[in-house]
Amino acid sequence: MCPDRQIVSAFLDGEIESPWDKAIVEHLASCQTCRSLHARLAETRRILREESLADWHAPMERVRRALRAQTPPQRREPAVWERRVSVPLPVVALVAALVLFFGITLVVAELRPRVGLVRITKAPAGGTEIQISAPISELETLLKSVGAEDTAREDVILLPKNMRLLPVGEPRMGKAAEFPKVKTW
Amino acid sequence: MVRRRVALAPLLLTLAALQAHPEDREQDPKEALQSLLSNALQVTIAARVLPPDEKPIWNAESTKLTLPGRSIRVRMDGDNVRIYLVCTPYVQDSGNVLLLAQGQVWFAEPTENEVKYSSTFSSIPVSFGEKVLFFPLGVSSEEAQQKGVVNVEVEINIVPYKQPQPQQQP
Repeated sequence: MCPDRQIVSAFLDGEIESPWDKAIVEHLASCQTCRSLHARLAETRRILREESLADWHAPMERVRRALRAQTPPQRREPAVWERRVSVPLPVVALVAALVLFFGITLVVAELRPRVGLVRITKAPAGGTEIQISAPISELETLLKSVGAEDTAREDVILLPKNMRLLPVGEPRMGKAAEFPKVKTW
Repeated sequence: MVRRRVALAPLLLTLAALQAHPEDREQDPKEALQSLLSNALQVTIAARVLPPDEKPIWNAESTKLTLPGRSIRVRMDGDNVRIYLVCTPYVQDSGNVLLLAQGQVWFAEPTENEVKYSSTFSSIPVSFGEKVLFFPLGVSSEEAQQKGVVNVEVEINIVPYKQPQPQQQP
């Protein structure tokens, strides 16, 4: 029975230990097939050891050049800030108009409270609106302003003197028809 | 030519946007005043002290002009009592008035060294000229009236303000 090809290769490399190597030597002496296999392996080994490999760099470079010549050169991807965007001119005009409009509105809104003014305007529905712009920056100041206005609008009625008025119940309020028993004048 | 028109577009759009606020149009102050007076309300507040079954022994009246939504305040001061009345009339779509009225009473007990406070708040739908009564010290019963307790009555009456007609020269 012939040994495996790998065993013959291992024998050639000196990796088969005694006493198995002697058995392989005896088999090679009696088997022509294994002897020729051993001879081919030994020849291959000799060639690999003695002959240097051909220089493959030059052919590889030629292949690369040929491939580059066939494929178009790849463009460099531009950066975000280098990209160009195509926008229709009317859109640019509209955006510019909006920016201008809101800018003017902001400036007017910013300046209006600083310029104390009273504006009387007429609404489309027919009502009248009075706008009073004053430099009121704090809510407390605003409340004080409103409170002062209420106080100024307060009427005072002096009840009769030397008359002790006594409460007879909780305050009541309603239409005159709800107090039929009270004789009103 | 097209480019010139396009260049004018932002200016025209801005002008159009500025013109899109008709309420910002300035109005003649005299015209605005007339418009205010046409919406004005005349609120009459009459306070009375009513002995039982007798004519008022005291009365006072205050008439004020106001606008719908603007409150008027009346304060009534007595020796031992202070009464606040805040009236805010709103004109409804039906033409009637919704009166929001708040009454506050500060009362000093004659014998006790303390002050009592009570308040009432009502929203009353009324017609123009319809009387609303406010009894800040309560409504005395017949028995109490027989003992001489008087009622303090405050009458609220709201009518549209009528501008005085200018006298015609003969």
